Amino acid sequence: MATHLVSVLNGLAMGSLLFAIALGLSLVFGMMDVLNLAHGAVYLVGAYVAVALVSDGAGVAPFVLAVLAAAVAGAVLGGLLASLTRATPHHLDQALLTLGVALVVGEGLSLVFGNDVHSIAAPEPVAGGVTVLGETYPVYRLLVIGFGAVLAVAVYVLVERSPLGSLIRATVADRAMVAALGVNTGRVLVGVFAAGAALAAVGGVLAGPILGAQPGLDEKVLLLALVVVVIGGLGSVRGALLGAVLIGQVQALGTALLPEYASFLVFAAMALVLLLRPAGLLPARSGVHA
Amino acid sequence: MGAVSLVSLTRTLAGLALGALALSGCGSSLDESGGSGSGGARSEKVRIGLLVPLSGVYAPIGEDMKAGFELYLDQHDGKLGGREVDLVTADEGEGPQTGVPAAQKLVDQNQVTAVAGVVNSATALGLRDFFHESKKPLLIANAGADDITGARKSAYVWRTSFSNGDVSAALGPAVAKEVKGGVYLVAADYAAGKEMVAGFRKTFEAAGGKVAGEKYTPFGKTQDFQPYLSAIRESGADAVFAFYAGAEAVNFVKQYKQFGLAGKTPLYGTGFLTEGGALAAQGAAAVGVKTSLHYSTELDTPVNKEFVAAYEKAAKKPPTVYAVQGYDTAAVLDKALAGAGGDGGDALVEALGKVGSVDSPRGPWKFDADHNAEQTYYLREVETSGGTAVNAVVGELE
Repeated sequence: MATHLVSVLNGLAMGSLLFAIALGLSLVFGMMDVLNLAHGAVYLVGAYVAVALVSDGAGVAPFVLAVLAAAVAGAVLGGLLASLTRATPHHLDQALLTLGVALVVGEGLSLVFGNDVHSIAAPEPVAGGVTVLGETYPVYRLLVIGFGAVLAVAVYVLVERSPLGSLIRATVADRAMVAALGVNTGRVLVGVFAAGAALAAVGGVLAGPILGAQPGLDEKVLLLALVVVVIGGLGSVRGALLGAVLIGQVQALGTALLPEYASFLVFAAMALVLLLRPAGLLPARSGVHA
Repeated sequence: MGAVSLVSLTRTLAGLALGALALSGCGSSLDESGGSGSGGARSEKVRIGLLVPLSGVYAPIGEDMKAGFELYLDQHDGKLGGREVDLVTADEGEGPQTGVPAAQKLVDQNQVTAVAGVVNSATALGLRDFFHESKKPLLIANAGADDITGARKSAYVWRTSFSNGDVSAALGPAVAKEVKGGVYLVAADYAAGKEMVAGFRKTFEAAGGKVAGEKYTPFGKTQDFQPYLSAIRESGADAVFAFYAGAEAVNFVKQYKQFGLAGKTPLYGTGFLTEGGALAAQGAAAVGVKTSLHYSTELDTPVNKEFVAAYEKAAKKPPTVYAVQGYDTAAVLDKALAGAGGDGGDALVEALGKVGSVDSPRGPWKFDADHNAEQTYYLREVETSGGTAVNAVVGELE
């Protein structure tokens, strides 16, 4: 039993990371109607920023620096992608365009960092383990769970309770009306795109000590993020949170309970949700809600 | 936007994402280098095809094999068997869908005398009939499937590397001797993982060892091993035997340490667990891991020391077992071409049978009756030396 509780804990850690990564994908799709297949590549950029800045046994400072640098790099990439995808309203064109960007970014990263597998050390003060229910558990993963909780609350407050949030929600609901009120809606949309990409890149740094960085990781992460978005419902913050927590548990607890079916569990969960709730568990209906 | 269109959109994106994954796998193109293209009529020159992955997850292995092969050429004035070599490199990619056409192009279009390389076992097995029927020698320099020199062996297919079962079988008796209680077996869920575990289990149980549990993890999809590590702890096993390579090896070994198993439950494996780039990424987390392999940079022989120094100078990093396999494949071709009575596949195959003992950085080895490498396997233990982790040689196995 204690073993399974540790798996639940671990599922929360993975869920927190998935939430940070999938949130941007979901919002950009829900608000801007843009399908961004370069989201995984943005994540990988963040992971390699950590490879470049965080050395083994480093303290907290280089790690925080990596988080900030990744956020900036992600925001810039997101801004670029926003202006690129504005040229075309068709989903298939957007998919091809962003897929192309993803391939170029991935190839560029492997030219700079090589094809080898890189690992990223957790900051020295939290690199160790603590005893949880009789098992050793890495402290760093507990911090990741804390980060996920803080992020969820912050996004809720921002979207539901702040003037900026109401502007974002209004832009999604009726872009023309907001523009008629004298607001530059293009700027709002680029801002959301940049913020979503920045979160994905930060996710790359934070996931670094758990997943490392190597070519091909972008595709795996993109696929998981898409599953989270599909399960949670497009364009919904609550949906992304629910989807991420669910997939985190399916991966950790599900694997612990049914190891023989580990490779199908994630997709079985997605198929089940699509059968019962084709629009996802908590889709955005009219407009955005946290 | 209505719920229905969201759903259809959702399906489109899921489909697109899957398509993208497939695309990126087979988008790798042929990469020719060194081919002058001016006919193959000059009998002094010999054209050799090098088929290694230069893109995809196996690219680091392919790069090492290529560097090893090229080092041998450089050390011998670009000649094999006294003849200048026209080396044509092709990208094997991740699997048979790229590797098989690339090899066929080397033979049909580039008219190479022999093909060397091949990392992926599925590619090697997929190529077997083509080389068998076109009577061209194929020198496998990595792919480990037991069948390549077993059930599906061919007169034209030779292996300079290893077979999966042999590498792990060498470790079985040693673990049975060192570990008193049960040993938990865990590996990636694909053909190589199964063969590695089967090979180990056979000799381990024959030597009186007890198996505490056996689990296979989804290949290429497992990033977090916590559920498996918890199961290992639950089982009360006294030691673990694991087979992973590349990114999975890095994550498994690091998490083995993070979840507190390292130090309490000794970790054994085949050498791929702690080789090359994987070991560099694992760093101190791998200290104490014991593995079996036919090579280590730390082998204390004059041939190896010379090789390590030359390789580090050329490639700017320490060699790996993959580099040695590439190097030895060139050495075998050198001997065979010198002894062959012509450029035909049959003449070269006959000469390959007479190559005899190869004085390699891994120690002397030769082809056995099945055209597989017959060699010494070493027990290695990861230690830190001057800040970097290395595979120290504990002794010879068997």
